Amino acid sequence: MWAIETRNLRKVFRPLFGGKPITAVDNLNLQVPPGTVFGFLGPNGAGKTTTIQILIGNVYPTAGEAFVLGHPAGAIAAKRKLGFLPEKFQFHDFLTAEEFLRMHGRLAKMDGATLQKRIDEVLELVGLAERRKSKIREFSKGMQQRIGLAQAIIHDPDLVILDEPTSALDPLGRRRVREVVQYLKERGKTVFLNSHLLSEVERSCDEVAIINRGRVVKQGALDELLVNRSIVSIELKRVEPRILEGMSKVARKVQPVDERRVTAEVDEEDAVPELVRAIVESGGALLGLQAHRETLEDLFIQTVEGEAK
Amino acid sequence: MGVIVALTLKEAMRRRAFLGTVIILIALYGLSFLPRAFKEAFGGNERQFEVGVNLAVLFGVDIIKFFSAVLAILLCAGAITAEIERGYLAAILPRPLHRWELYLGKWLGVMLFSTANATLWTAMLWVSVAVQGEPRMEMWYALPYVLLYPVLYGTLALALSSFLGASLASMFTVAAGAFAYFSDHFLRPIAALFDVKFLQQIVWLSEWTVPMATLKRLVQARVDTILPPGMDDAPPFGSPEVLAFLKPTVQTLDGVYVAVYITIALLVGLLIFWRRDVQ
Repeated sequence: MWAIETRNLRKVFRPLFGGKPITAVDNLNLQVPPGTVFGFLGPNGAGKTTTIQILIGNVYPTAGEAFVLGHPAGAIAAKRKLGFLPEKFQFHDFLTAEEFLRMHGRLAKMDGATLQKRIDEVLELVGLAERRKSKIREFSKGMQQRIGLAQAIIHDPDLVILDEPTSALDPLGRRRVREVVQYLKERGKTVFLNSHLLSEVERSCDEVAIINRGRVVKQGALDELLVNRSIVSIELKRVEPRILEGMSKVARKVQPVDERRVTAEVDEEDAVPELVRAIVESGGALLGLQAHRETLEDLFIQTVEGEAK
Repeated sequence: MGVIVALTLKEAMRRRAFLGTVIILIALYGLSFLPRAFKEAFGGNERQFEVGVNLAVLFGVDIIKFFSAVLAILLCAGAITAEIERGYLAAILPRPLHRWELYLGKWLGVMLFSTANATLWTAMLWVSVAVQGEPRMEMWYALPYVLLYPVLYGTLALALSSFLGASLASMFTVAAGAFAYFSDHFLRPIAALFDVKFLQQIVWLSEWTVPMATLKRLVQARVDTILPPGMDDAPPFGSPEVLAFLKPTVQTLDGVYVAVYITIALLVGLLIFWRRDVQ
């Protein structure tokens, strides 16, 4: 059983007073294995938020199916095991942190004794134990994000959906979120993470899916998607066709940037010295070189730009 | 659902509705002592004082009807779409509760608040006239019907708030109330006395659209017994049909119609909220 599964999921928004219908999600097929930290990526307007809203039962799909922990998305049985941190939220700021979590625990049908124990645990986990009696309106934006994270996990859900959890956080806050994600992973929970901070996703996630125009365009384990490929930025005295030809024998892709700079993509780091040799043998005057492993950001841009072409 | 009821009550208290409650309490207290103040200032006999108290009670009941309805509109109009837009429901809707639980929880919360307010105001009015030696039990007999005002308008505002923002939902509810009031108080006498069929049909339609006149009759049947003789009598001319139209009496099914109307408004709002996308 998948933690999340969608089959040909489609959502079309039809404006109330005429106008062109907007297809936000278009035959989306997604499988999220249980127990993983799953990154859900895509450019703005790709359909990520709509997909999440369908998964939590806020939006009805136009066609297709969505399942959460084996239950139809939006069913009470699915919601019982689901925790959610929204991207845009306004909490009832007249409540204290403790009252707020108690309210959410009761909404999640937790019993009194378990709830009190769990409130202590999650406040400790998100670093707000000492502010339990403070009203939420007194919290900074980062603290509000952390209390939001606390409400998402108060009922010990099997699946936690985090929609841009680190967008408002400073580096320390982001580290705290990573720690919470790690804590959830160690307890065998599934975390579905929607974030624009690709470095965060790369550090936390086991698997990712990249969506564009409402469809999944790439999905898989991070270590499979990010093969041991290196991107090499080269500075030459002058870029000439014969040098590019020589480099092409070693590199899988060569891309001139301007008259002096070239970017080359090699399959593994060991190929970099060979690339240097090829430049020199082609008569190129090498002024500088910098190699780095392909990052999720490289993969993301490549995938989305490839789709656009 | 109990959590949502409690949350709605807390929100109502937070939104300075409590301050409104206290201001109306003070106003009613002051109103009840006006007849005594007049008697002391200008003289007058006990009978005149008694009539003054009766008028103050009738006016007080009108104040309670009006302000409890206004309070219910203000609280209900922003309960659904406005809360979605502000992001208050973003973390609550994914909880394991049905949308009807959320909707009815909010409705119940506002109705409890309105009921408590109207009861408190009635108690204040009753006590303050009772201490002057003029207890009027009639206002307690009318209270169950007075309570239907916030229920009617609150339910209407909540139904509209299931797809409209707070300003539009309250505006349309107030417009519906104004239409009903205008038809009953201004169009009805004109339509009756000049026997204008078209206006009579508008009055009839308005009563079906928003049964405020029906509610008014139900309340009047309980409190008008203290009206001074001669006041609010039918004019001494006109055919029986015209007079019946001008001063309609309570019909057996009036209460049933109001109950059915409120139930349908509640269900329509619930249905819209149940089927709409929330984002």
